[in-house]
Parts: sequence; structure tokens; C-alpha cells
Amino acid sequence: MWKSLIRTITPLSKTTNCLLSAETSIQQQLRTTFILKRRINPPLSKKGGPPKKLRTRNYLYELVKDTNCDKQANIDLILTSYVDGLGNVGDRVSVKSYQAYDQLLLPGLAVYATPENLEKYKDVEVKDMKVYSSSTALGVMQVLSKITLSVVMNKDSPWTIQPWHISASFRKCCYMVPEYAISIPEKPIKGPNLDIEGKEFYITVTINKTEQFKVRCRIHHWSTNIRERLPYEEGFWKVPGELLFPEDEEIAKAQSQNK
Amino acid sequence: MSSKAIKTLGKFIKPGLFDKGTGALLPEAYKKFYKEWRLTEPTVVHYIPEEGRFKRDPVTGEVQRIQNHPIPLLFIKESNEQIWGGEQVIQGFQIRDWRRRRVPHFWWPHLKRSVVYSEVLNQHISVVVTNRTINLIHANYGFDHYVLKTPACDLKSLLPLTLKRKILQELQKGCPTYEDQPEKQKEIHNKYKQYLTAYTSEEIEWYGYSFTQACKKLEASIEAKNQPVPLKSVYRSELIEKLKEAKISASSEEVAVGNTSTWLKKINPFSKET
Repeated sequence: MWKSLIRTITPLSKTTNCLLSAETSIQQQLRTTFILKRRINPPLSKKGGPPKKLRTRNYLYELVKDTNCDKQANIDLILTSYVDGLGNVGDRVSVKSYQAYDQLLLPGLAVYATPENLEKYKDVEVKDMKVYSSSTALGVMQVLSKITLSVVMNKDSPWTIQPWHISASFRKCCYMVPEYAISIPEKPIKGPNLDIEGKEFYITVTINKTEQFKVRCRIHHWSTNIRERLPYEEGFWKVPGELLFPEDEEIAKAQSQNK
Repeated sequence: MSSKAIKTLGKFIKPGLFDKGTGALLPEAYKKFYKEWRLTEPTVVHYIPEEGRFKRDPVTGEVQRIQNHPIPLLFIKESNEQIWGGEQVIQGFQIRDWRRRRVPHFWWPHLKRSVVYSEVLNQHISVVVTNRTINLIHANYGFDHYVLKTPACDLKSLLPLTLKRKILQELQKGCPTYEDQPEKQKEIHNKYKQYLTAYTSEEIEWYGYSFTQACKKLEASIEAKNQPVPLKSVYRSELIEKLKEAKISASSEEVAVGNTSTWLKKINPFSKET
């Protein structure tokens, strides 16, 4: 037994110069994958002798721990550029490890908080500080600027689109947007008009009377009479719609880039 | 007679990998790597080893020796193209219910495709990794540090070993990928040059090859050295040389003949003059 232990320890001690930290490897072993335990241990072998041959019952294992199910540990990072919702250049942040790897370390938005990096980013000039009106404002902006809002209007009786129509459409998707936060395009959109069916226009939503962003809306006609209803189009949200006002093209381009 | 010789007297010692064939010709540098890779005990991953020399039975108070029997692991061939961070497949049995017979089971690591970034090579590499690999990269503050710090027995598969050799070779050359930015080149070279001290240049050249790959490399180098020259080219060059010599001598003869052949011309029966 001691022979096998010495075998494990000696190579590590011999290669200390290439293994700069020996203690980290011992910590690392515990936060890995499947950690198993034998149900029945093989009998003790003689001191200095070869290990006893394993029998079938020695291959019966019990799961001690599956570390993939563990909670992700946070790691410390220093940001090298501004990141939405996290911080600015030189900020020290603590992020979940796999998320940090995919979203910050690989794109090069952050570096590890090593002593050298801490020294390097100690006094970095902070430019373009962005402050939001609330902690959730950015999240709301990101979510709402990605969706396509279906504005379902009557096919039979005449209407002109008002903010309360948009507010109701938001409410159907479980977003509570008050009427005063919505500003509709200046040109009036009137109907029922089957020429504008499935066409898109942009409205502006204001959060806390400070941040403004555009939301894409699409007009659909609907009738209470089943016979009058337009046929259902399979996967209509996947088909890119035409713009109602050709001057909105710039906004559409900017939004598709942000996606 | 030494004691070792007495012990091995009359015993047939089976020739090992490095005693026969091309293996015997492999340099010491490769043998050192092979020892680090195959003959060193890797870090324990799949079980928690008991510490100490003895333990006491909690009920009877009986003292027992502690012996750790490592769990046998299966090496998967495909993992040579992936980075598993020391994880391997375990084959064994499970008892899922006390009324049932034991069930064979394979414990596979959770694999996912991700990207690793090597700062020295300045490359993003798409590879299949495990969560343990990413944790190890975090613990060592970067992929380069992880690969360079970890011994071959823990890296195990050929892909990280090959990357390690490439990184070391790049460091030896002084990071030529950053030639356009001399400041950054210097910074990165200073950051990683400490790892070069553990290896000589020959060891770096032979690092990270499997046994067959190393043999092929050696055979190729031997073949390149003793390239056979086809006989036709040898004979041709000989002939050309001969011809050249002959020509020179002929011309010189001619010159000699032209100058001093007055009496020979007279003898020639076919000459028009006579």
C-alpha cells in the first residue's frame, strides 16, 4: 500500500517546479464529476506486496456525489470593457463560473482577478458611465425590444390605433405597460384595411420617464364571426413582415443587429 | 555477482517497449515524457481516498490498516481528440433496488462542446470538454497555465499534450504570433517563460507523442537522413564526369596534334596532300 502511495506522491514532489501549486490539485479533485464508493472493499494485501485481485463484487459502486448537480461556484473577474448590467472597465465582479467563461472570458470582456491583473487594472480611467433608472430597466429593455407584439384589431368596425390598443396587446402577453409610457407613430393607422394585415410598425416605450426604446408591432385583423375570420397561418411569427412605413427601415436594421 | 543479478538468474526478462525494435532507438527525452505520461499515478478524480495509516472500527474498536484500491478506469479512444480534464469512464455495477440483481452500468462524464482560448498561440479552439476542465482552467487562471502546469498523466489525452508541445515550442521561439505588437509579445513571453525551465529543447521536441507517433517520427527522420540515391543518377553523373575529362583531354590532344603532327600527316595514307 505504501509503495502505491509513494508512487503517487513522489512524481508530484519531483516535478514541483512545473507544478507550481501542489495544494490546488488536492482541492480540485473534490469538485469533479461522478465520485463513487465501493460497496465491498477488496481484502488488504500484504505490506509491500502486489494488490489483491479484484472480484466482481469489488466492482459494485455507490454514487457519493455528482458534482455536475452542484451549485455553480462564483469566480472573481475584472472587466476590461463596459458590460451591460455588470459594470465598467476595471470593476471587480463575481459571476457564476460557466456563465463567466462563455459570456465574459471567451469574448475577452474580462480577465481573471489575479494579483497581477488587480495591479494592472487598479487605476483605469472610467469613461461613458451608463446609469439606468432602476436595476431591472435594462432587462426590460432587452426583453421588450426583442419581441414582436401582435396588435389584434377588429375586422368589421372602423378604428384608429390608440395607445390603449397597444397597452391591451401588451397585457395579452403579460406585460403591464401603462398608456402614458406608449407613444404611437404620428401618422394615424386606420382600419379595417386588409392591405395592412401582417405589416409592422414601431412604437416607443418609455421606462420611468427616462429610457426610451422601440418595440415592433404587427397588425392582425380578427372578427367575432367565425366565417369572417382570416385563415390561421402556421408559424406566422417566423415569417418576416413588411414595414408599414418605409421610413422605419433604419430602426428595423438597428434592431436586427442588436438581436 | 551483484544481488540483482542473483535475483534475476535464470529468469527470462520480457523485453519492454523500449527494449526492442524502433522503441530501443527512441531518445532519452521521449522516454522521460513517456514516464511522466504513462508510469506516473494521476490525480485521484473518481473517488475520495482515505487518509492516514490506520483506522479504528467505530463499533469494535479494532485497528485496521488503510489501503486505497484505485477504481479501475476505461480509457476511451475518442477522448484523444477531446479534453476531459482527467475524467474517465467507469465500468461497474449498480444495485438499484435491494430485490433486484446487480445491473451493469457505465458512468460517463458529461461532455459538452465549448471553446478554449490559448493566449500564447492567440487562437480560439473548438473542443469537447467537461465541466471539470473548465473548473481547472479557472483554478489555474487560463488555459495556457492549466496545460503548462499539469503533468502529462493528468492531461492524459493526446490533444492537450499536443497543444502543450505547440505552446512550449511557440514560447521557445519567443511568441512569433504577436510580431506586430512587440510590447504584448514581451509581456506574454515574460508571463509564461517560467515553464520553459523544466524542459530542454530536445524534450520539447519529443513531448506529447504517443508511442506509435514517436516511432513514426523517428523512422521518418532516419529515412530522411539515409535517402537512397538511385543508381542511374550515380552512373549518369559518373559518365558525365568521365565525358568531361575525356573532352578536355581530347581537345588538349588535338591542340597537341595540331602543333606537332607535321610528321604524322606525312605518314597518313588517306590525306589528300600525299
